[in-house]
Amino acid sequence: MSVVEQLARMPAAAIEFANILLTQDDAEVGVTPKDVVWTHRKTTLYRYRSTRRRHPVPVLLVFALINRPDIFDLRPGSSFVEFLLDEGFDVFLIDWGYPEEEDADLGLDEYVCDELPCGIREVLRASDEDQLTLLGWCIGGTLCLLYGGWAQDNPVRNMVLLTTPVDTSGSLYSTWVGRDSFDVEYVAAGYKAIPGQAVDWANKLMKPVTNYWTTYRRLWEGVLAGEPRREAFQAMARWVADNPPFPAAAYRDWITWMYKENRLVHGRVRLRRRRVDLRRIDQSLLVVTAGADHIAPPDGTRPLLDLVGSTDVKSIDRPGGHIGLMAGSKARSEIWADIARWLQERSQTTREGRSDGNHRTE
Amino acid sequence: MADERRSSPTDDVRRLYEEAESRTARAFEDLVSRGSFGELLARMTENVVALTKIATDVFDLALRNLRLAGRQDVTRLARQLARTEDKLELILQEVERLGDELNAEGRSGGARSGRRNSANGTAGATSSRTSRAAK
Repeated sequence: MSVVEQLARMPAAAIEFANILLTQDDAEVGVTPKDVVWTHRKTTLYRYRSTRRRHPVPVLLVFALINRPDIFDLRPGSSFVEFLLDEGFDVFLIDWGYPEEEDADLGLDEYVCDELPCGIREVLRASDEDQLTLLGWCIGGTLCLLYGGWAQDNPVRNMVLLTTPVDTSGSLYSTWVGRDSFDVEYVAAGYKAIPGQAVDWANKLMKPVTNYWTTYRRLWEGVLAGEPRREAFQAMARWVADNPPFPAAAYRDWITWMYKENRLVHGRVRLRRRRVDLRRIDQSLLVVTAGADHIAPPDGTRPLLDLVGSTDVKSIDRPGGHIGLMAGSKARSEIWADIARWLQERSQTTREGRSDGNHRTE
Repeated sequence: MADERRSSPTDDVRRLYEEAESRTARAFEDLVSRGSFGELLARMTENVVALTKIATDVFDLALRNLRLAGRQDVTRLARQLARTEDKLELILQEVERLGDELNAEGRSGGARSGRRNSANGTAGATSSRTSRAAK
């Protein structure tokens, strides 16, 4: 397109650009039909409707305590949930909801020792199965790890961890909130529920130019070229802007345990007086890392491979960012298919029937 | 061939711009990764928390003196509801456990119910909740 053509198109492009930004809140996310199975306080367990269930072992999706789990089901045609359903899985999702000040007492132990086990119990009841697959993303992955290392004889058959922080030493977050001058107790006492926007602002501040400028510049270029990718941009923008508050107790636990004291990797997390021992995790384990992940860098996740007791371990490292890896335009071909293949092989047999051979692959 | 490879002024401008943008991005990422920036962020966070706390206290005081329900009152009520819900959840667990036991008795193999109740890793599935419900 010549300069003259670009100039001529600019007024129309400016209007379209503004329209995309102004109507992004109207984008529909998380629209795959689902039913409520169980609720407790702000937590809701959903089961996605499907007539194509082939694999007996159900999959429970666990997302982080920041942002919404809608990223699993971003928009039709670009939905991991939709993909899993098409592949014949029975998919459940645990949604932590929007905690408010009254939930200030919800610490990580409540999430790991109460909410998650109850969700698992209801998944097993609803699916009439004995075992399930836990699929955690970001903090959700760490919650799954804590559960696996805490709950003895649990019914988890497989564990899939996506861009999960484990060893936070040397991370940018650790530079910010791990220092002594960051008084997490004061923050948690001041805010009963840490505003989601503050957490989002901190996340964006890690790559300020990319998040506050490049994203919009690329959109503008797309609009000017007549290829705005409106649906994809709006769905992602809406998801990014939807930030539930972080319960104060859970925030204090998370910052202290993971960033100030890096307890998980040193085996010093205790929940309800029981030590979280990652060697207790003997399930089939798939660990997915993203090469350009600045929130949970691959170097901070890989130590997990030597800490767990599993013999069937697979690690996949792909180019992409913390969210882009699973929700980007290439996710379906580059990573979803691999996850589905790995799950299919491990979603047919019972726990007792699973292979004990050493499958550690990278 | 040489003519084909020659880039247009528009392409040159674009290339220079993208180069400048990626350099700026790297410079900012370097800036925010410094310890001094972390220190600044920590102090700023503390100030924002302190200001929010003062503002919240002032608003709550004003509302209380006007005999109107404030945020704290709503939160207190919501906590009461949450405690009640915790107790209801205990009852649900018991009902489900009894239902499973009855089903297991009906069928010959009762292994499944035992497995279901082991989701929290303890034999007494309800024990962990009791402490929270009692708060």
